[in-house]
Amino acid sequence: MTRISLIALGAFAVMASAICLLVLVPQALLRDVVAPPQLQPYTEQQLAGRQVYIQNGCVYCHSQQIRDPAFTTDVDRGWGGRATVPGDYVYDKPHLLGTMRTGPDLINVGQRLPDAEWQLIHLYDPRSVVDWSLMPGFPFLFEEKAPNTVQPADRVVRIPGPRAPRGVVVVAKPEAIALVDYLVSLKRQYPVTHPTSGGTRTAFGGRNATH
Amino acid sequence: MIPSSLPVIVATAVLTLLAAVVLAWGYWRGFFRDFDAQARVIFEPEDLRLERPWETPVDRLEREMRHGKLVAPAPGEWGGAA
Amino acid sequence: MTAPPTGAPSSDAAALGQENVRAVAAARGLAPEDLDIRLRADASSYTVVLVLFAIAIGWLLIGSIFGDIASLKLHWPDFLTRQSWLTFGRVRTAHLHAVNYGWATAALIGTSLWLTPRLVHNELKSPVAALIGGALFTLGIAVGIIGVLLGFSDGMEWLEANRYTAGPLLVIGGGLVGLSLFRTVAARRAAHLYVSVWYILGAFIWFPMLYVTGKWPTWTGVESAAVNWFFAHNVLGFWLTAMSVGAAYYFIPKVLGRPIYSYQLSVVGFWSLAMFYSLNGMHHLVGGPLPTWMITTSIVASVFMFIPVVATGINLHMTVVGRFGALRYSPTLRFVVLGAIAYTAVSLQGSFTALREVNRVTHFTHWTVAHSHVGGYAFVTFVAFGAMYYIVPRLVGHEWPSARLVRWHFNTVLAGIAIYVVSLTWAGVAQGLALLDARLPFQISVERSLPGLYGRSLGGLILTVGHFIFAWHFWRMVRMPTGAQPGARPPFHEAQPILYTDEAEAGRPQTFRAAAHSDQIARAPAAHDGNVRPAQGTS
Repeated sequence: MTRISLIALGAFAVMASAICLLVLVPQALLRDVVAPPQLQPYTEQQLAGRQVYIQNGCVYCHSQQIRDPAFTTDVDRGWGGRATVPGDYVYDKPHLLGTMRTGPDLINVGQRLPDAEWQLIHLYDPRSVVDWSLMPGFPFLFEEKAPNTVQPADRVVRIPGPRAPRGVVVVAKPEAIALVDYLVSLKRQYPVTHPTSGGTRTAFGGRNATH
Repeated sequence: MIPSSLPVIVATAVLTLLAAVVLAWGYWRGFFRDFDAQARVIFEPEDLRLERPWETPVDRLEREMRHGKLVAPAPGEWGGAA
Repeated sequence: MTAPPTGAPSSDAAALGQENVRAVAAARGLAPEDLDIRLRADASSYTVVLVLFAIAIGWLLIGSIFGDIASLKLHWPDFLTRQSWLTFGRVRTAHLHAVNYGWATAALIGTSLWLTPRLVHNELKSPVAALIGGALFTLGIAVGIIGVLLGFSDGMEWLEANRYTAGPLLVIGGGLVGLSLFRTVAARRAAHLYVSVWYILGAFIWFPMLYVTGKWPTWTGVESAAVNWFFAHNVLGFWLTAMSVGAAYYFIPKVLGRPIYSYQLSVVGFWSLAMFYSLNGMHHLVGGPLPTWMITTSIVASVFMFIPVVATGINLHMTVVGRFGALRYSPTLRFVVLGAIAYTAVSLQGSFTALREVNRVTHFTHWTVAHSHVGGYAFVTFVAFGAMYYIVPRLVGHEWPSARLVRWHFNTVLAGIAIYVVSLTWAGVAQGLALLDARLPFQISVERSLPGLYGRSLGGLILTVGHFIFAWHFWRMVRMPTGAQPGARPPFHEAQPILYTDEAEAGRPQTFRAAAHSDQIARAPAAHDGNVRPAQGTS
């Protein structure tokens, strides 16, 4: 065994042990996580909307997790009634937990802002409804049509206020509709019970996964 | 704080032990000896004899005594322009 | 002007590796194996290192522009919103990939490919593989970034590049570079393996393991979050940091002419970095919906990082102490020493930030972005700059053309990163404190961070100016002659390292030296026609 093998083996072993400890073992433990009965899988349209969320990098400004109210003020702030648990994310592939709150947390935005019309307006031009917002607009998720070309089946979005575009009608593209459908579906307010020490399969995952 | 799961403890212990065994073996085989020579692997004989403009006369004398007559550096030797 | 010496390849063949070595040896009338090892090492890595540095600088400029656009959008949200490919969420990712996987990776791989032959006292093996590997990897990053801009993202931060289109290019490209490095180390002639080699080898073992883990397609739910941050944090420690620390361990003692303060500490530093850093990643998820023991393990490991960071910090700092005057003479030292200090600072900041009480304030804020730039810029990028300032002259055979451009570069990027970090940290703390107070509406957190966001844009723009200065200087360096040598010089891909020596006359071992005096130039006019020949009067 040469010294290179020593370094290589040592380096490999250290990383392999970390992968075991922080990836494989948790995966085994979290296999027990089941979806809470009140949580529905995403519909096809909601999944399409979730893809739009991913494609446009919403996760880089918005989180989707509520932290323990004993630890911090996410609940006090009105972003959710309880801390989120692993079971809340069973249908999320990949996760969108986020690490920035340039914008508010969204895990319960379907509860706070369920109006699809408001969501569409806000997506097209956030500052037409929230004047202090730093969120970019997403006009490319919409079509700006000449008024006489609007079809009856079009989802027209009426932009309020002085920032509304003149002379065109804003029509939501399927991507925008799907994205809003996804956002409005984001609710994690149903109760989840803490596992007893006897251990049951719960939304927390496994018998001793959390304490 | 310590995970109460047995698989976690066992896995961690086994792999940490493996890493420790590899290091101990390396030590026993003498890979960790002669550190001075190891630290000097990066130097050509020239390097240690180069005149360094930031060194005090005492430093220079010490360097000359230890490594021999000092040599002028090339322009831009230290990574800059002349 | 372009007629090559006998035995050398034609000038348009872009001499690689062995051919380059043979050419240099033939020009000096020596057999290749008798050529000074330093010359052989440099000649063998010449092409691949310069190409990678050029690629790196290209990514630096592209990444800087993306970064500026993203930064401006944050306080001018109506800036460039019409086009989908310029939306903040895509441009930010393009910036991250361009600067980390583009600039930093290419610069550090180039540095590692230059360092390794030097350290093992042999030539670079499989330099063609390394070159192709570098090109494939670059292509993979480009494919990934273009994909992201067009709306194709695999969804996890730091892992967005599409696993089916970009992935294979990255894996094959990286693998070829790794092959070249491992073959070179296997062929070592040096009696010992210096610590920098361990870091480089480690990086090339760890990154593939991390990448495969991160890109494995089956992760879902919170386990995908654990994997995401396992990857993203470890790519910093085991890829970027590893190669940067390895470089610092070389350049600091090399320029100073003093060995590293304590080699034993470097052993401690390397292995404790490996053991503790790998467990850190979950500290990005403090308070999140993961088993508490995972997060606690990460917090504990983050604090244990004190050990490798202090070990490395002591080593690098104590080597310099008493010699800080050297920073005035050496741009390499200026950048690398400041980079090493930034490494210690960002790591201590990281350990501090992982503590729950601090994390309560800083999580989800701009603090984290500021912290990442202390690491990725003030540490990694500065070390890369320092390395390039040292390496490029030794490849092209002459010093940098302009001391002024060096000074401007250094001053601009130092001012830029200082303004960046201070503004954004301040914004993050203001934001975090406002978020923590549930009585304050969310709007307050946004408004209080705004001044810092403007400051960050200013810092970022200054950095970009610095990068263009450096890129311009690099261009001049590889294309044009220095003032000391009259007459036109061939472009770098045709040039052989040009070396003058008077020691050959005295029969002493020849060394790399550019002409130190004008009379040496006068004695060796033939060297200016693109051929490499010993000074007149020698054999």
